[in-house]
Amino acid sequence: MNIPIWNLKKQNAILGWKLVLPSIFIIGILIIYPIMSNVFLSFYDVKMVGDNTFIGFNNYFNIITDPDFFNSLFTSIIYVLSTTIGTTLLGLGVALVMNKEFKLRWLARSLILLPYIAPVISVVFAWKFIFDPVNGIFMHITVENLHLFSERFNLIGDPKYSLIVVIVFSIWKNFPFAYLMLLGTLQSIDTSCYEAADIDGASARQKFYYITLPYLKFVLGSLIILRLIWNFNKFEEVYLLTTSVKVLPVYTYFKAFTGAFEMGQGAAIALIQFFILIFFILIYVKKVLKW
Amino acid sequence: MKKNFIVFLVLLFLIIGNIGVFAGGGSETTTTEEPVEFEFWVSQTESDRLATIKVIAETYMAMNPDITIKVISVEENDLPQNIQAAVSAGNIPPLLELGAENAINFGSEGIIDLDMTLELINDIGLNNFYKGALELVETPQKGTYYAVPFHGWVQGIWYRTDWFEEAGLEPPGTWETIEKAAEYFYDIDNNQYGILVGTTEENYTEQCFTQFAISNNARIFDKNGNVVFNSPEMREAVEYYTNLAKFNPPGPQTWRARDYYLQGKMAMFFYSTYIMDDLAILENAAGSLTGDNFADLTGTDFDPDLADKTGFVPIISNTDDSSYGVIVALALTEQENEAVSQAARDFAKYLYTNDAYITWLHMAPGGMNPVLKGISDDPDFLNDPKGLYNNYGEEKMNEIISGLSEIKRFGIVEGNVIEAYGDIFSQNIIPQMIYKITQQGMDIDSTMDWAESEIEKIVGN
Repeated sequence: MNIPIWNLKKQNAILGWKLVLPSIFIIGILIIYPIMSNVFLSFYDVKMVGDNTFIGFNNYFNIITDPDFFNSLFTSIIYVLSTTIGTTLLGLGVALVMNKEFKLRWLARSLILLPYIAPVISVVFAWKFIFDPVNGIFMHITVENLHLFSERFNLIGDPKYSLIVVIVFSIWKNFPFAYLMLLGTLQSIDTSCYEAADIDGASARQKFYYITLPYLKFVLGSLIILRLIWNFNKFEEVYLLTTSVKVLPVYTYFKAFTGAFEMGQGAAIALIQFFILIFFILIYVKKVLKW
Repeated sequence: MKKNFIVFLVLLFLIIGNIGVFAGGGSETTTTEEPVEFEFWVSQTESDRLATIKVIAETYMAMNPDITIKVISVEENDLPQNIQAAVSAGNIPPLLELGAENAINFGSEGIIDLDMTLELINDIGLNNFYKGALELVETPQKGTYYAVPFHGWVQGIWYRTDWFEEAGLEPPGTWETIEKAAEYFYDIDNNQYGILVGTTEENYTEQCFTQFAISNNARIFDKNGNVVFNSPEMREAVEYYTNLAKFNPPGPQTWRARDYYLQGKMAMFFYSTYIMDDLAILENAAGSLTGDNFADLTGTDFDPDLADKTGFVPIISNTDDSSYGVIVALALTEQENEAVSQAARDFAKYLYTNDAYITWLHMAPGGMNPVLKGISDDPDFLNDPKGLYNNYGEEKMNEIISGLSEIKRFGIVEGNVIEAYGDIFSQNIIPQMIYKITQQGMDIDSTMDWAESEIEKIVGN
């Protein structure tokens, strides 16, 4: 039987649509609708009971005139940059070490994954116990035993140190992901490349820069971009550990869901956050990755 | 004609049914015919308390097979956002157990069924309630209420009587004695602290601060609802409080730090009468935590006699006396379905019958005190499972419970309810101010200006 090619193409196209339609439907309901609803809300004064009033760009105006917004934007930027650089570098370092042969390597490899696998809430509580100013082991050792500090202080709660703690926590918790991705790529590099380099008399550093790094380039690029997105939107790790660090998502939460429920303003911040993220990512992709 | 007769019969039947309910008083039958299911949000989060509440609900369901009640636990701090979500989704639960502040807040948002609430209060008997408790949930239009008072606690300073005696210090009841003792016992080098007052951006901070501010006649509003926040009295209170916080354990602190007291590392702490329960548990635990049963535990700081060495001061004095407490109430919300409304109301009424009420209050003896007159003398009530009331004695208990009538709040000035205070409370303006000063090192005057402008913004809305 002869079926004209154009007809076959058409049928293929129809089949394709049929196959993707359920996903489009689900994505539409779960992602597109909430986003559109969010955009819509950001132009309204949202009331708990009764009709919302259209107030144009007032929500946006209120936010960009709020000094707390810029503080939290600044905090967010520091948090995202430090954690992204930290997780990537630590992940890379550990992956390079774990790529070498040594005894009990299998054990070390699985232990490294623990922080990433453990549920956030349990790890957060463990950290809180460790750094508790009165009962924690950290203060006991550093103040009473080693006399590194003159007196006990609240490392996690005190706003002076809490941003650093949150950054260290995030790096410690998330570096195994970078490590896992990088180790996988490292293992796929053909050893003959290094053998050839050895014959040419290349140093260890030259081998790293001219063989390892080019191989890792795309994985590193993706890791950085994913970490940027994830950590810019990170809420639970920060909020559970301390409320002293107000990164943008935590700021949004306090605006939208506590006190007077500025849902409209919350929606507007979320949208601003979205555009800031898009802006940074575009710059990163165009200028840094040159994709 | 025949149809009218049937309608008449049905009406007659319903009316007789209703009379049965009222005449029976304690006997719990309802007029609901259709199966009704509703959620009951409670602010209790401890698993043993939830288990008790579920037993009470199941007892009621056994008596009323058409009714299904789902008990849902919502932490008080999370209640506003959960209610917000429920309102947006259009499935707000008909019955809530919540603090009076939240009740006023939700009431001013228009989600409370005021008629049904008044009806329930009248059913139970307006005069059966302590007046002070009812005042805390009254609407600005006197005579109607945002919720039905259910139980309550008073707050005060709990302190180590043995330490105070040894040091020759007076019990901490005035600004002077409190500050002196806090400074005296603060010894960070030996991991010992003077006092615990709230410094986080949470309700607890406001609870502690309110008592000090009002004891200095410092108010947020005058009786007409005008903002009088930035007064010399308020500045004194803020200065005193933030200075007192220097004798806290390091960093921002909240009620959870009471554990340091239980460990014998703190001289005083602010807490509600709920701690009586915890101290009693500690005492009960003493028997099982001896070295005989758990060899590993010998040598720990556990002090089985802590409850006996703990004193309580409910009233703080400076230029005025002030006590602080919270009334927890039951709120009936506006519902589209009349049957659900009715069922929730009937269940709420059941919760005030002696058996159910005393069972509920016994979940936390000392913490949950009756708001109905006559209960505190009831032998069933005084015979709590933990033997706490016998321990503290009837007189002491009555003193604590009577404190419920004397509670002073920022939101009620000379008997007038200031609705705007609900928003100020739930936005944690005062705790934020305390946090900025004590933790971020901001200066008192500019932070008070900031707080005043935030308050003005809320009042302006």
